[in-house]
Amino acid sequence: MKTFVTAVAALALVSGVASAQSVKVGYITKSATNAGWMMINGGAAQAASDDGSIELVTVGPAFQGDLSSQLEVFENLVAQGIDAIAIAPVDSSGVADAVAAAMAAGTPVVAVDTGVVGADVASFVATDNEAVATIQGKVACGLISNGDKVIYVTGNQAQSTGQERRDGFYAGFGKACGDSEVLVVPTEWNSQQAQEGVEAVLNANPDVKMVVNAWDGGTMGAKAALENLGYAAGDVKLVGFDGAGDAIVAMDEGWVHADTAQMLAKMGYEGIKAAAAAARGQMVEARIDTGTFLVTPETSAEYKALIGM
Amino acid sequence: MSASQANAAAPVAANGGPKGTGESATNAKLLRWVVRFFSAEWSGALLAVVLMAIGIEVFTSGKPFFHPSNLLTIFNNAAALGIVAAGMTLVILTAGIDLSVGSLMGMSAALVGYVASYWGFDPGLAILSGVAMGCAVGLLHGTLVAQFGMPAFIVTLAGLSIWRGTGHLSTGAQATPKLDELFNYFGRFNPFSPLRAAYKAETLPDGLMWLGALVDSQWLEWLRTFQMSTVFLFAFYILLAILMSNTKLGLYVYAIGSNEKGSRQAGINVKLYKILAYVFCSFCAAFAAILFLGRAPYAKSDYGMMWELDAIAAVVIGGTSLFGGRGSIWGTLLGVLLLKLINNGLTLAQLNTFWQMIVTGLIILIAVGLDIVRQNKNPLRVRQMLIAAAAALAFFAFITPGSKLVSSWIVHTEHHAAVSLQEALKPQFKQLDPKQAQRLQTTEDLQAYADDAAQAVVPAVGFGLLAIAAVLAVFLATPVLVYGLMVAFGLGMLAALPMGLGAVAPFLLLGLALLAGSQAVGPLFRRAASLK
Repeated sequence: MKTFVTAVAALALVSGVASAQSVKVGYITKSATNAGWMMINGGAAQAASDDGSIELVTVGPAFQGDLSSQLEVFENLVAQGIDAIAIAPVDSSGVADAVAAAMAAGTPVVAVDTGVVGADVASFVATDNEAVATIQGKVACGLISNGDKVIYVTGNQAQSTGQERRDGFYAGFGKACGDSEVLVVPTEWNSQQAQEGVEAVLNANPDVKMVVNAWDGGTMGAKAALENLGYAAGDVKLVGFDGAGDAIVAMDEGWVHADTAQMLAKMGYEGIKAAAAAARGQMVEARIDTGTFLVTPETSAEYKALIGM
Repeated sequence: MSASQANAAAPVAANGGPKGTGESATNAKLLRWVVRFFSAEWSGALLAVVLMAIGIEVFTSGKPFFHPSNLLTIFNNAAALGIVAAGMTLVILTAGIDLSVGSLMGMSAALVGYVASYWGFDPGLAILSGVAMGCAVGLLHGTLVAQFGMPAFIVTLAGLSIWRGTGHLSTGAQATPKLDELFNYFGRFNPFSPLRAAYKAETLPDGLMWLGALVDSQWLEWLRTFQMSTVFLFAFYILLAILMSNTKLGLYVYAIGSNEKGSRQAGINVKLYKILAYVFCSFCAAFAAILFLGRAPYAKSDYGMMWELDAIAAVVIGGTSLFGGRGSIWGTLLGVLLLKLINNGLTLAQLNTFWQMIVTGLIILIAVGLDIVRQNKNPLRVRQMLIAAAAALAFFAFITPGSKLVSSWIVHTEHHAAVSLQEALKPQFKQLDPKQAQRLQTTEDLQAYADDAAQAVVPAVGFGLLAIAAVLAVFLATPVLVYGLMVAFGLGMLAALPMGLGAVAPFLLLGLALLAGSQAVGPLFRRAASLK
């Protein structure tokens, strides 16, 4: 009998070593309702279900952009003794102090999508927004001739993601299309603002040839604006960012001409993987670039296969 | 502020003037019109809309702001919020509030789209069930407020959270596919487009060809953006105005709002009418969701975020008192139009995003300020406010050169701070943070800022003094000082033009007009009083 117990204990020990050490990873997302964020969150959940030893605790802020509630859940997770945290910061520098405190206390923190300014993290998993937006600007310029008027629908200009996408777009677009006038429609990642703004600007400037958007919610708002004003697909070109499903459908219908997709699901997946690895004390790369995919009518089939659409 | 005080000037118009002769009779008539205009609740909002529109027209380049297709676009985009705000007006008139309208609008939009897309509901049935659900939510809110005496603020604050959560939860916060054509008839459908299509295809009966030709020729400028949204918005307000003046509901919401106890003693079923007000408000939110879907790309549960605040702002700008009992439907419509005008105009003016936020807030303050001036029956106070407004305009004129001084000062300060920090870090072999290093300027740049500032000194000091003198005049409104100020505003305007400060001229002109107006206030009030 005694030997049996010992054998079981030994077996348990062996199996425990053989499979990875079980870790509890907290994942703090920025939004549970935005289409792009739902893909990132899906990737994060996938990482946990692929690797049975990761227990994932997902929490989100009360509404998108609410820093104080994000800080609160962050501190709660640290206090509960979580092994590692993957966070998509609402504000790059706003979370810095909390992140620094957690890292100092031995809880590794991985930043997903948006970086942390003012504190070190174990790893930063994201697409380089500015680099992708530069590609977007370059591609957009190729769709029109230099001197044509265009509209740019911004994201929230008080957040680094919005600022980087805008700066990247201007850098990429201005190089070869320096004579084009860019009319700005400011938004706070709200497709209704995009729709109303594009309608207003198009009314006053019927010679606009293209609408470039900082995210695909804006692309869909701009498309609704074009439909409201009686334009047909292709009359005014649309360029998107994110590669969201509805924008790809609109591309197949002839509305959208280019979309710089982030590998969103991959971002969430790699973020959780990196956090789990850091919790186990393994080496993780300080910067994991999840890359981009330029979706055009030619490459849309390939992209759809890639994201399982 | 009681209703009687607010309408203090109204009896003047109602009692009729003296049967004067000739010139004075015309004057009296004109004056009565002025009095009648200013005694209407919506006059402040109307003035603000007109001022705002003129301002946008002056500052936007390119195609004029006042072309029909742009105005119609503003109406189209105002439709959904306009109907939400109409419901809010009724609730606020009963001295209540409904903070849940934005969430309810989002939930209704999401659920209607959801059952139409995934449950195989006929679109018409989906719309009906959405509106019915809205009414049920209103019944719940109203019952909790009127029957159980819970504060409206708390009940609807809970609703704000509950209905948003329910909307997200029941639809998974996912966007639906594109909705059925039927929804277009509540939004982007253009009633003239079938006529034009038939004309283009030459299938129109001969008798109607002239009409088709007319529509086609006016298409781009007038009819392209004429959509059902606009039709619904105005039809809804006209119906509601008729309802308000011809039914007990319309009468009783005012009575309940100004004196609830008295209304109860007078035999009004206060509970019933309060519940009805909440049901109507929620009905409006659900109906607005249908109008919104008519123009949106898909249905989604995050529609209507913060709409409760826009709706309340529109109601208050429209002259309705947050304490209930006083206000009008038409003022709310003007308030909604003002908010949409601000959005549209500031986008067209391509103003920096962060400035747009500040300017939006200032315009709301000005609109409500106008309403307070309008209500005041003390001529001295009105005169003070007009002069204060002129002082604010002088300050706006000061901002253009003044901001150059300030930004030059800030650049120099930040540069010197960065330099001394750099010196302090050197012994420790540390470097400046890249963001601090960005604050370091080249000598040429510093000089350029200094040159800019030097040029701005004279106008900045001049307009600054003008603003200070105008503030003094608010408290010492002697005719000499005010007339002196008027001369100074005029001279400032003339001096600004050669200095390349043409943009400040409109401010000073408007200030001049306000100062002149302030001198007319006393006599005007005396005349109005003597008309009794």
